[in-house]
Amino acid sequence: MKISAGLPTGVSAALFDSARRRRLLEARLSALLEERGFAEVLLPILDYFEPYRPLLTGRRLEQLYRFVDRDGQLLVLRGDFTPMLARLLAPHLDELELPLRLYYRGDVVRHQPLRPGRMREYSQLGAELLGGDEAEADEQMLTLFFDLLLEAGREAPEPVDGEEHALRVVLGVAGALDEALLAGAGEQEAPELAQRIASRERTAARRAGLADVVERGYPTDLSVLGGTAEAVSGLLGLRDRLSAAYRDAGVEIEVDLAEFAAAALDPRISVGAGRRGYYDGLMFAAYAPGTALALGVGGRYDKVFRSLSGDCSAVGFSCGLDLLLELGNAAPQS
Amino acid sequence: MITLGLPKGRNLGPARASLETAGLNLDGLVSARLRQRFPDQNVLGTPVEVLLLKDWDLPLYVEHGIVDCAIVGSDVLEETQPDIFRPLQLKDGRSRLSLIADTPELPKRSGQLRAATRYPTWAARLLAARNLHVEVIHLTSSIELGPLLDLTDVAVDIVQTGGTLRTHDLHEVEVLAEVAPTFVVNRASFHAHRRRLSGLLGSLEETETGDG
Repeated sequence: MKISAGLPTGVSAALFDSARRRRLLEARLSALLEERGFAEVLLPILDYFEPYRPLLTGRRLEQLYRFVDRDGQLLVLRGDFTPMLARLLAPHLDELELPLRLYYRGDVVRHQPLRPGRMREYSQLGAELLGGDEAEADEQMLTLFFDLLLEAGREAPEPVDGEEHALRVVLGVAGALDEALLAGAGEQEAPELAQRIASRERTAARRAGLADVVERGYPTDLSVLGGTAEAVSGLLGLRDRLSAAYRDAGVEIEVDLAEFAAAALDPRISVGAGRRGYYDGLMFAAYAPGTALALGVGGRYDKVFRSLSGDCSAVGFSCGLDLLLELGNAAPQS
Repeated sequence: MITLGLPKGRNLGPARASLETAGLNLDGLVSARLRQRFPDQNVLGTPVEVLLLKDWDLPLYVEHGIVDCAIVGSDVLEETQPDIFRPLQLKDGRSRLSLIADTPELPKRSGQLRAATRYPTWAARLLAARNLHVEVIHLTSSIELGPLLDLTDVAVDIVQTGGTLRTHDLHEVEVLAEVAPTFVVNRASFHAHRRRLSGLLGSLEETETGDG
Protein backbone atom coordinates (compact mmCIF):
# COMPACT_ATOMS: atom_id res chain seq x y z
CA MET A 1 0.00 0.00 0.00
CA LYS A 2 1.29 3.42 -0.93
CA ILE A 3 1.45 5.72 2.07
CA SER A 4 0.60 9.37 1.43
CA ALA A 5 2.83 12.10 2.88
CA GLY A 6 -0.18 14.44 3.06
CA LEU A 7 -1.33 16.06 6.31
CA PRO A 8 -4.79 17.23 7.36
CA THR A 9 -5.91 20.66 6.19
CA GLY A 10 -4.32 23.52 8.11
CA VAL A 11 -1.38 21.65 9.63
CA SER A 12 2.21 21.41 8.52
CA ALA A 13 5.46 19.87 9.65
CA ALA A 14 8.66 21.83 10.23
CA LEU A 15 11.49 19.72 8.89
CA PHE A 16 15.24 20.16 8.74
CA ASP A 17 16.29 23.80 8.45
CA SER A 18 12.84 25.26 9.17
CA ALA A 19 12.73 23.28 12.44
CA ARG A 20 16.19 24.47 13.36
CA ARG A 21 15.38 28.09 12.59
CA ARG A 22 12.24 27.99 14.67
CA ARG A 23 13.99 26.46 17.65
CA LEU A 24 16.76 29.05 17.38
CA LEU A 25 14.24 31.88 17.32
CA GLU A 26 12.42 30.36 20.29
CA ALA A 27 15.71 30.15 22.18
CA ARG A 28 16.55 33.80 21.52
CA LEU A 29 13.12 35.01 22.55
CA SER A 30 13.01 32.72 25.60
CA ALA A 31 16.39 34.05 26.71
CA LEU A 32 15.07 37.60 26.53
CA LEU A 33 11.99 36.63 28.54
CA GLU A 34 14.08 34.87 31.20
CA GLU A 35 16.33 37.91 31.38
CA ARG A 36 13.25 40.07 32.17
CA GLY A 37 12.25 37.77 35.00
CA PHE A 38 9.61 35.68 33.25
CA ALA A 39 9.38 32.00 34.17
CA GLU A 40 8.38 29.38 31.63
CA VAL A 41 5.25 27.30 32.12
CA LEU A 42 4.58 24.06 30.28
CA LEU A 43 0.89 23.49 29.75
CA PRO A 44 -0.87 20.29 28.69
CA ILE A 45 -2.20 19.78 25.22
CA LEU A 46 -5.39 18.11 26.52
CA ASP A 47 -7.88 19.60 28.94
CA TYR A 48 -11.49 19.23 30.02
CA PHE A 49 -13.99 21.19 27.96
CA GLU A 50 -16.11 22.26 30.93
CA PRO A 51 -13.85 25.01 32.41
CA TYR A 52 -13.88 26.88 29.11
CA ARG A 53 -17.64 27.33 28.95
CA PRO A 54 -17.60 30.53 31.05
CA LEU A 55 -14.33 31.73 29.51
CA LEU A 56 -14.93 31.29 25.82
CA THR A 57 -18.09 31.86 23.90
CA GLY A 58 -19.07 32.39 20.29
CA ARG A 59 -16.64 31.54 17.55
CA ARG A 60 -13.68 30.83 19.82
CA LEU A 61 -15.62 28.13 21.65
CA GLU A 62 -16.75 26.63 18.36
CA GLN A 63 -13.15 26.57 17.17
CA LEU A 64 -12.03 24.17 19.91
CA TYR A 65 -11.32 20.63 18.81
CA ARG A 66 -13.29 18.54 21.27
CA PHE A 67 -13.92 14.84 21.64
CA VAL A 68 -15.12 12.25 24.11
CA ASP A 69 -12.30 10.05 25.41
CA ARG A 70 -12.62 6.39 26.40
CA ASP A 71 -13.59 7.38 29.96
CA GLY A 72 -16.53 9.37 28.62
CA GLN A 73 -14.95 12.75 29.42
CA LEU A 74 -15.45 15.65 27.03
CA LEU A 75 -11.95 16.92 26.30
CA VAL A 76 -10.46 19.70 24.20
CA LEU A 77 -7.15 20.15 22.46
CA ARG A 78 -5.32 23.29 23.56
CA GLY A 79 -6.75 26.19 21.57
CA ASP A 80 -5.31 29.07 23.58
CA PHE A 81 -2.74 29.33 26.34
CA THR A 82 -4.12 32.34 28.23
CA PRO A 83 -7.47 30.96 29.43
CA MET A 84 -5.84 27.62 30.27
CA LEU A 85 -3.27 29.37 32.41
CA ALA A 86 -5.94 31.56 34.01
CA ARG A 87 -8.15 28.61 34.90
CA LEU A 88 -5.20 26.76 36.45
CA LEU A 89 -4.05 29.75 38.50
CA ALA A 90 -7.40 31.28 39.53
CA PRO A 91 -8.09 28.84 42.42
CA HIS A 92 -4.58 29.49 43.83
CA LEU A 93 -4.44 33.28 43.65
CA ASP A 94 -4.27 33.61 47.45
CA GLU A 95 -1.16 31.45 47.61
CA LEU A 96 0.68 33.14 44.75
CA GLU A 97 3.16 35.92 45.17
CA LEU A 98 2.10 38.69 42.82
CA PRO A 99 3.11 40.16 40.47
CA LEU A 100 3.71 36.95 38.58
CA ARG A 101 5.59 36.89 35.28
CA LEU A 102 5.07 33.82 33.11
CA TYR A 103 5.73 32.82 29.54
CA TYR A 104 4.87 29.86 27.36
CA ARG A 105 5.59 28.46 23.93
CA GLY A 106 3.97 25.66 21.99
CA ASP A 107 1.27 24.78 19.52
CA VAL A 108 -2.41 25.59 19.61
CA VAL A 109 -5.09 24.11 17.37
CA ARG A 110 -8.26 25.83 16.25
CA HIS A 111 -10.80 24.73 13.69
CA GLN A 112 -10.96 28.05 11.91
CA PRO A 113 -11.81 29.02 8.35
CA LEU A 114 -8.73 28.79 6.20
CA ARG A 115 -7.38 32.21 5.40
CA PRO A 116 -4.14 33.18 3.73
CA GLY A 117 -1.31 32.31 6.08
CA ARG A 118 -3.66 31.09 8.80
CA MET A 119 -3.18 27.49 9.80
CA ARG A 120 -5.30 25.32 12.09
CA GLU A 121 -2.27 24.32 14.11
CA TYR A 122 0.32 26.97 14.80
CA SER A 123 3.09 27.79 17.23
CA GLN A 124 2.76 30.61 19.70
CA LEU A 125 5.05 32.27 22.15
CA GLY A 126 3.45 34.51 24.74
CA ALA A 127 3.85 36.14 28.11
CA GLU A 128 1.51 37.11 30.94
CA LEU A 129 1.90 39.51 33.83
CA LEU A 130 -0.52 38.94 36.69
CA GLY A 131 -1.05 41.46 39.48
CA GLY A 132 0.77 44.71 40.13
CA ASP A 133 -0.12 48.25 39.23
CA GLU A 134 -2.22 48.16 36.06
CA ALA A 135 -0.74 51.18 34.28
CA GLU A 136 2.80 50.06 35.04
CA ALA A 137 2.02 46.50 33.98
CA ASP A 138 0.54 47.69 30.67
CA GLU A 139 3.62 49.74 29.88
CA GLN A 140 5.98 46.95 30.94
CA MET A 141 4.23 44.39 28.79
CA LEU A 142 4.07 46.66 25.75
CA THR A 143 7.79 47.33 26.14
CA LEU A 144 8.43 43.59 26.33
CA PHE A 145 6.19 43.03 23.29
CA PHE A 146 8.17 45.57 21.23
CA ASP A 147 11.51 44.18 22.39
CA LEU A 148 10.54 40.63 21.46
CA LEU A 149 9.35 41.72 18.03
CA LEU A 150 12.51 43.75 17.45
CA GLU A 151 14.62 40.80 18.57
CA ALA A 152 12.72 38.53 16.16
CA GLY A 153 13.16 41.00 13.33
CA ARG A 154 16.71 42.06 14.03
CA GLU A 155 17.97 40.42 10.84
CA ALA A 156 15.18 41.84 8.72
CA PRO A 157 16.38 43.86 5.76
CA GLU A 158 16.27 47.64 6.14
CA PRO A 159 13.03 49.18 4.84
CA VAL A 160 13.53 50.22 1.22
CA ASP A 161 11.59 53.39 1.72
CA GLY A 162 12.98 55.61 4.47
CA GLU A 163 9.54 56.73 5.61
CA GLU A 164 8.18 53.26 6.17
CA HIS A 165 8.58 51.78 9.61
CA ALA A 166 9.63 48.22 10.16
CA LEU A 167 6.98 47.66 12.79
CA ARG A 168 3.57 49.23 13.30
CA VAL A 169 1.86 48.68 16.60
CA VAL A 170 -1.80 49.57 17.00
CA LEU A 171 -3.17 50.32 20.45
CA GLY A 172 -6.82 50.39 21.43
CA VAL A 173 -9.20 50.06 24.33
CA ALA A 174 -11.68 47.19 24.18
CA GLY A 175 -15.19 48.56 24.01
CA ALA A 176 -14.16 52.20 23.61
CA LEU A 177 -16.09 52.58 20.40
CA ASP A 178 -19.09 50.57 21.56
CA GLU A 179 -20.27 53.21 23.95
CA ALA A 180 -20.10 55.99 21.37
CA LEU A 181 -21.85 53.87 18.75
CA LEU A 182 -24.56 52.72 21.11
CA ALA A 183 -25.16 56.32 22.19
CA GLY A 184 -25.17 57.62 18.63
CA ALA A 185 -26.83 54.84 16.71
CA GLY A 186 -28.82 52.77 19.20
CA GLU A 187 -28.94 49.04 19.86
CA GLN A 188 -30.28 48.09 16.43
CA GLU A 189 -27.92 49.93 14.16
CA ALA A 190 -24.75 49.96 16.26
CA PRO A 191 -23.43 46.45 15.50
CA GLU A 192 -23.66 46.90 11.74
CA LEU A 193 -22.17 50.36 11.98
CA ALA A 194 -19.31 49.00 14.10
CA GLN A 195 -18.57 46.38 11.46
CA ARG A 196 -18.52 49.01 8.76
CA ILE A 197 -16.37 51.41 10.75
CA ALA A 198 -13.97 48.58 11.49
CA SER A 199 -13.80 48.04 7.75
CA ARG A 200 -12.71 51.69 7.48
CA GLU A 201 -15.83 52.76 5.66
CA ARG A 202 -15.54 56.49 5.74
CA THR A 203 -19.19 57.14 4.94
CA ALA A 204 -20.37 54.91 7.79
CA ALA A 205 -17.96 56.56 10.20
CA ARG A 206 -19.14 60.01 9.20
CA ARG A 207 -22.77 59.01 9.58
CA ALA A 208 -22.04 57.86 13.10
CA GLY A 209 -20.25 61.13 13.85
CA LEU A 210 -17.00 59.18 14.28
CA ALA A 211 -15.16 60.08 11.08
CA ASP A 212 -12.09 60.86 13.18
CA VAL A 213 -11.90 57.22 14.24
CA VAL A 214 -11.19 56.25 10.65
CA GLU A 215 -9.04 59.28 9.86
CA ARG A 216 -6.95 59.40 13.01
CA GLY A 217 -7.83 56.26 14.88
CA TYR A 218 -9.71 58.07 17.65
CA PRO A 219 -12.17 60.98 17.92
CA THR A 220 -10.93 64.55 18.35
CA ASP A 221 -13.54 65.01 21.05
CA LEU A 222 -12.93 62.13 23.44
CA SER A 223 -16.10 62.95 25.40
CA VAL A 224 -18.16 61.05 22.78
CA LEU A 225 -16.53 57.90 24.15
CA GLY A 226 -18.35 58.33 27.47
CA GLY A 227 -16.93 56.24 30.28
CA THR A 228 -13.99 55.05 28.21
CA ALA A 229 -12.74 58.58 27.40
CA GLU A 230 -10.34 58.52 30.34
CA ALA A 231 -8.88 55.16 29.28
CA VAL A 232 -8.34 56.43 25.73
CA SER A 233 -6.78 59.62 27.04
CA GLY A 234 -4.39 57.49 29.12
CA LEU A 235 -3.63 55.43 26.03
CA LEU A 236 -2.67 58.52 24.05
CA GLY A 237 -0.18 59.40 26.79
CA LEU A 238 1.19 55.86 26.72
CA ARG A 239 1.54 56.05 22.94
CA ASP A 240 3.51 59.31 23.21
CA ARG A 241 5.90 57.93 25.82
CA LEU A 242 6.51 54.68 23.95
CA SER A 243 6.81 56.46 20.59
CA ALA A 244 9.57 58.64 22.02
CA ALA A 245 11.34 55.62 23.51
CA TYR A 246 11.15 53.49 20.34
CA ARG A 247 11.48 56.12 17.62
CA ASP A 248 15.05 55.14 16.79
CA ALA A 249 14.18 51.45 16.80
CA GLY A 250 11.81 51.90 13.87
CA VAL A 251 8.61 51.18 15.76
CA GLU A 252 5.62 53.34 14.92
CA ILE A 253 2.82 53.29 17.46
CA GLU A 254 -0.69 54.50 16.81
CA VAL A 255 -3.96 54.50 18.67
CA ASP A 256 -6.77 53.04 16.60
CA LEU A 257 -10.11 52.27 18.15
CA ALA A 258 -11.61 50.94 14.92
CA GLU A 259 -9.07 48.12 14.74
CA PHE A 260 -10.76 46.44 17.66
CA ALA A 261 -14.32 47.55 17.04
CA ALA A 262 -15.95 45.01 14.74
CA ALA A 263 -16.27 42.11 17.12
CA ALA A 264 -17.04 44.28 20.10
CA LEU A 265 -20.70 44.66 19.27
CA ASP A 266 -21.23 41.28 17.70
CA PRO A 267 -24.13 39.79 19.64
CA ARG A 268 -22.66 36.29 19.30
CA ILE A 269 -19.61 37.32 21.23
CA SER A 270 -19.36 37.91 24.92
CA VAL A 271 -15.93 36.94 26.09
CA GLY A 272 -13.83 34.87 23.83
CA ALA A 273 -14.03 35.48 20.12
CA GLY A 274 -13.32 37.96 17.41
CA ARG A 275 -10.75 40.69 17.46
CA ARG A 276 -11.69 41.82 20.93
CA GLY A 277 -11.64 38.29 22.27
CA TYR A 278 -11.53 38.13 26.05
CA TYR A 279 -9.86 41.49 26.44
CA ASP A 280 -11.51 44.19 28.50
CA GLY A 281 -9.08 47.10 28.54
CA LEU A 282 -5.89 47.86 26.68
CA MET A 283 -5.56 45.94 23.39
CA PHE A 284 -2.70 45.91 20.93
CA ALA A 285 -1.62 44.28 17.69
CA ALA A 286 1.60 44.49 15.69
CA TYR A 287 1.96 44.55 11.91
CA ALA A 288 4.88 44.71 9.55
CA PRO A 289 5.00 45.49 5.83
CA GLY A 290 4.68 42.32 3.81
CA THR A 291 2.98 40.25 6.50
CA ALA A 292 -0.73 39.85 5.90
CA LEU A 293 -1.62 38.95 9.48
CA ALA A 294 -0.88 40.52 12.85
CA LEU A 295 2.48 39.30 14.17
CA GLY A 296 1.15 39.31 17.69
CA VAL A 297 -1.82 40.49 19.69
CA GLY A 298 -2.40 41.15 23.34
CA GLY A 299 -4.23 43.08 25.97
CA ARG A 300 -5.70 43.27 29.44
CA TYR A 301 -8.02 40.43 30.41
CA ASP A 302 -9.00 40.99 34.05
CA LYS A 303 -12.50 39.75 33.29
CA VAL A 304 -11.23 36.24 32.60
CA PHE A 305 -10.19 36.02 36.26
CA ARG A 306 -13.43 37.67 37.39
CA SER A 307 -15.41 35.04 35.50
CA LEU A 308 -13.38 32.41 37.39
CA SER A 309 -14.31 34.09 40.69
CA GLY A 310 -10.78 35.38 41.04
CA ASP A 311 -9.71 38.97 41.44
CA CYS A 312 -6.48 39.64 39.65
CA SER A 313 -5.34 42.17 37.11
CA ALA A 314 -3.81 40.47 34.08
CA VAL A 315 -2.18 41.59 30.86
CA GLY A 316 -0.47 39.47 28.23
CA PHE A 317 0.20 38.81 24.60
CA SER A 318 1.01 36.05 22.17
CA CYS A 319 2.98 36.05 18.93
CA GLY A 320 2.84 33.64 16.02
CA LEU A 321 6.28 32.07 15.72
CA ASP A 322 5.94 31.35 12.02
CA LEU A 323 5.08 34.96 11.34
CA LEU A 324 8.03 36.11 13.44
CA LEU A 325 10.29 33.85 11.41
CA GLU A 326 8.97 35.48 8.27
CA LEU A 327 9.59 38.91 9.78
CA GLY A 328 13.19 38.25 10.66
CA ASN A 329 13.97 36.12 7.68
CA ALA A 330 15.63 34.33 10.60
CA ALA A 331 19.02 33.42 9.37
CA PRO A 332 20.39 30.63 11.57
CA GLN A 333 22.69 31.81 14.35
CA SER A 334 25.70 29.79 15.22
CA MET B 1 6.12 51.59 -3.03
CA ILE B 2 2.42 50.78 -3.03
CA THR B 3 1.16 47.76 -4.96
CA LEU B 4 -2.24 48.33 -6.48
CA GLY B 5 -4.43 45.58 -7.90
CA LEU B 6 -6.81 46.43 -10.72
CA PRO B 7 -9.41 44.19 -12.35
CA LYS B 8 -8.83 42.93 -15.86
CA GLY B 9 -11.59 43.34 -18.37
CA ARG B 10 -14.57 45.66 -18.38
CA ASN B 11 -14.13 46.83 -14.79
CA LEU B 12 -10.68 48.20 -15.54
CA GLY B 13 -12.00 51.31 -17.30
CA PRO B 14 -14.13 52.73 -14.45
CA ALA B 15 -11.50 51.77 -11.84
CA ARG B 16 -8.72 53.49 -13.75
CA ALA B 17 -10.85 56.57 -14.44
CA SER B 18 -11.66 56.99 -10.73
CA LEU B 19 -8.02 56.65 -9.71
CA GLU B 20 -6.84 59.10 -12.37
CA THR B 21 -9.48 61.63 -11.35
CA ALA B 22 -8.20 61.24 -7.79
CA GLY B 23 -4.72 62.22 -8.99
CA LEU B 24 -3.00 58.91 -9.70
CA ASN B 25 -0.91 59.07 -12.86
CA LEU B 26 -1.43 55.83 -14.77
CA ASP B 27 -0.33 57.15 -18.17
CA GLY B 28 0.72 54.29 -20.39
CA LEU B 29 -1.16 51.56 -18.52
CA VAL B 30 -1.40 48.64 -20.93
CA SER B 31 -4.25 46.23 -20.32
CA ALA B 32 -2.28 43.28 -21.71
CA ARG B 33 0.64 43.56 -19.29
CA LEU B 34 0.31 41.92 -15.87
CA ARG B 35 2.80 44.05 -13.95
CA GLN B 36 3.58 47.72 -14.55
CA ARG B 37 5.44 50.28 -12.49
CA PHE B 38 4.65 53.98 -12.41
CA PRO B 39 6.96 56.65 -11.01
CA ASP B 40 6.42 58.78 -7.89
CA GLN B 41 2.80 59.66 -7.41
CA ASN B 42 2.01 63.02 -5.83
CA VAL B 43 -1.12 61.68 -4.22
CA LEU B 44 0.78 58.78 -2.61
CA GLY B 45 4.27 60.22 -2.30
CA THR B 46 5.77 56.99 -3.62
CA PRO B 47 5.84 54.96 -6.84
CA VAL B 48 3.03 52.55 -7.52
CA GLU B 49 3.14 49.09 -9.04
CA VAL B 50 -0.05 48.03 -10.78
CA LEU B 51 -1.00 44.37 -11.08
CA LEU B 52 -3.82 43.51 -13.46
CA LEU B 53 -5.64 40.48 -12.09
CA LYS B 54 -8.95 38.73 -12.45
CA ASP B 55 -11.72 40.24 -10.34
CA TRP B 56 -12.30 36.96 -8.47
CA ASP B 57 -8.61 36.59 -7.61
CA LEU B 58 -8.05 40.15 -6.37
CA PRO B 59 -9.39 39.66 -2.80
CA LEU B 60 -7.01 36.74 -2.31
CA TYR B 61 -4.01 38.79 -3.42
CA VAL B 62 -5.06 41.61 -1.08
CA GLU B 63 -5.64 39.23 1.82
CA HIS B 64 -2.19 37.70 1.30
CA GLY B 65 -0.61 41.16 1.24
CA ILE B 66 0.83 40.61 -2.26
CA VAL B 67 -1.27 43.60 -3.26
CA ASP B 68 -1.60 46.46 -0.75
CA CYS B 69 -4.86 47.79 -2.14
CA ALA B 70 -7.18 47.12 -5.04
CA ILE B 71 -10.47 47.95 -6.65
CA VAL B 72 -12.83 44.96 -6.57
CA GLY B 73 -16.55 44.57 -7.21
CA SER B 74 -18.57 44.37 -3.98
CA ASP B 75 -20.26 41.27 -5.47
CA VAL B 76 -16.95 39.40 -5.35
CA LEU B 77 -16.33 40.63 -1.80
CA GLU B 78 -19.77 39.51 -0.64
CA GLU B 79 -19.27 36.06 -2.12
CA THR B 80 -15.69 35.50 -0.96
CA GLN B 81 -15.89 37.39 2.39
CA PRO B 82 -12.18 38.22 2.62
CA ASP B 83 -10.77 39.67 5.83
CA ILE B 84 -9.74 43.02 4.35
CA PHE B 85 -10.70 46.67 4.77
CA ARG B 86 -13.30 48.16 2.42
CA PRO B 87 -13.00 51.88 3.00
CA LEU B 88 -14.70 53.31 -0.07
CA GLN B 89 -17.23 52.44 -2.72
CA LEU B 90 -16.85 54.15 -6.07
CA LYS B 91 -19.68 55.87 -7.90
CA ASP B 92 -18.93 54.79 -11.46
CA GLY B 93 -19.49 51.23 -12.60
CA ARG B 94 -22.31 50.47 -10.14
CA SER B 95 -24.90 47.80 -10.86
CA ARG B 96 -27.37 45.65 -8.94
CA LEU B 97 -27.84 42.02 -8.00
CA SER B 98 -31.35 41.03 -8.96
CA LEU B 99 -33.76 38.15 -8.85
CA ILE B 100 -34.57 37.31 -12.47
CA ALA B 101 -37.40 35.18 -13.85
CA ASP B 102 -39.20 34.60 -17.11
CA THR B 103 -42.36 36.00 -15.53
CA PRO B 104 -42.84 39.47 -13.94
CA GLU B 105 -43.66 37.82 -10.60
CA LEU B 106 -41.80 35.17 -8.66
CA PRO B 107 -42.91 31.78 -10.08
CA LYS B 108 -45.22 29.81 -7.77
CA ARG B 109 -43.94 26.31 -7.02
CA SER B 110 -45.29 23.70 -4.63
CA GLY B 111 -41.76 22.61 -3.81
CA GLN B 112 -38.53 24.48 -3.37
CA LEU B 113 -37.53 27.05 -5.98
CA ARG B 114 -34.29 26.59 -7.87
CA ALA B 115 -32.04 29.55 -8.54
CA ALA B 116 -29.04 29.77 -10.85
CA THR B 117 -26.28 32.13 -9.80
CA ARG B 118 -22.56 32.73 -9.85
CA TYR B 119 -22.82 33.83 -6.19
CA PRO B 120 -24.05 30.71 -4.33
CA THR B 121 -23.16 31.91 -0.82
CA TRP B 122 -24.24 35.51 -1.15
CA ALA B 123 -27.43 34.67 -3.05
CA ALA B 124 -28.41 32.02 -0.48
CA ARG B 125 -27.85 34.58 2.29
CA LEU B 126 -29.89 37.29 0.60
CA LEU B 127 -32.74 34.94 -0.32
CA ALA B 128 -32.85 33.40 3.16
CA ALA B 129 -33.14 36.92 4.60
CA ARG B 130 -36.31 37.29 2.49
CA ASN B 131 -37.63 33.96 3.75
CA LEU B 132 -37.08 32.44 0.31
CA HIS B 133 -35.52 29.04 0.81
CA VAL B 134 -34.24 28.04 -2.58
CA GLU B 135 -31.97 25.42 -3.99
CA VAL B 136 -29.00 27.32 -5.35
CA ILE B 137 -27.34 26.04 -8.52
CA HIS B 138 -23.85 27.40 -9.09
CA LEU B 139 -23.19 28.46 -12.69
CA THR B 140 -20.09 30.33 -13.79
CA SER B 141 -21.42 32.10 -16.88
CA SER B 142 -24.60 32.83 -18.89
CA ILE B 143 -26.68 32.72 -15.74
CA GLU B 144 -29.79 33.82 -17.65
CA LEU B 145 -29.79 30.44 -19.36
CA GLY B 146 -30.87 28.86 -16.06
CA PRO B 147 -34.53 29.97 -16.22
CA LEU B 148 -34.52 30.17 -20.03
CA LEU B 149 -33.64 26.50 -20.43
CA ASP B 150 -35.65 25.39 -17.39
CA LEU B 151 -32.59 24.33 -15.45
CA THR B 152 -33.86 26.61 -12.68
CA ASP B 153 -36.96 28.67 -11.86
CA VAL B 154 -35.09 31.91 -11.35
CA ALA B 155 -31.62 33.42 -11.67
CA VAL B 156 -29.77 35.73 -9.32
CA ASP B 157 -27.33 37.84 -11.26
CA ILE B 158 -25.87 41.26 -11.90
CA VAL B 159 -28.04 43.64 -13.90
CA GLN B 160 -26.36 46.72 -15.31
CA THR B 161 -28.52 48.17 -18.08
CA GLY B 162 -31.11 45.40 -18.36
CA GLY B 163 -30.24 44.85 -22.03
CA THR B 164 -29.55 41.12 -21.65
CA LEU B 165 -32.87 40.65 -19.84
CA ARG B 166 -34.81 42.43 -22.59
CA THR B 167 -33.04 40.40 -25.28
CA HIS B 168 -34.11 37.15 -23.61
CA ASP B 169 -37.54 38.36 -22.51
CA LEU B 170 -36.64 37.98 -18.85
CA HIS B 171 -37.90 40.10 -15.94
CA GLU B 172 -36.14 41.73 -13.04
CA VAL B 173 -38.45 40.56 -10.24
CA GLU B 174 -36.61 42.20 -7.36
CA VAL B 175 -33.38 44.06 -6.69
CA LEU B 176 -31.57 42.15 -3.94
CA ALA B 177 -28.50 44.35 -3.44
CA GLU B 178 -26.46 47.19 -4.85
CA VAL B 179 -23.09 46.32 -6.36
CA ALA B 180 -20.26 48.86 -6.49
CA PRO B 181 -16.56 48.86 -7.33
CA THR B 182 -14.92 48.99 -3.92
CA PHE B 183 -11.50 50.24 -2.88
CA VAL B 184 -10.07 47.58 -0.57
CA VAL B 185 -6.91 47.52 1.53
CA ASN B 186 -4.94 44.73 3.19
CA ARG B 187 -5.19 45.00 6.98
CA ALA B 188 -1.44 45.10 7.56
CA SER B 189 -0.81 47.41 4.59
CA PHE B 190 -3.39 49.82 5.96
CA HIS B 191 -1.22 50.30 9.04
CA ALA B 192 2.09 50.12 7.19
CA HIS B 193 1.07 52.75 4.60
CA ARG B 194 -1.61 54.56 6.53
CA ARG B 195 -0.61 58.13 5.71
CA ARG B 196 -0.08 57.44 2.04
CA LEU B 197 -3.28 55.50 1.58
CA SER B 198 -5.20 58.13 3.53
CA GLY B 199 -4.04 60.69 0.98
CA LEU B 200 -5.31 58.59 -1.92
CA LEU B 201 -8.53 57.75 -0.11
CA GLY B 202 -9.12 61.43 0.67
CA SER B 203 -8.70 62.34 -3.01
CA LEU B 204 -10.89 59.45 -4.13
CA GLU B 205 -13.55 60.46 -1.67
CA GLU B 206 -13.51 64.04 -2.92
CA THR B 207 -14.10 62.89 -6.47
CA GLU B 208 -16.73 60.32 -5.55
CA THR B 209 -20.14 61.01 -4.19
CA GLY B 210 -20.87 57.31 -3.77
CA ASP B 211 -22.65 56.38 -0.60
CA GLY B 212 -20.50 53.72 1.01
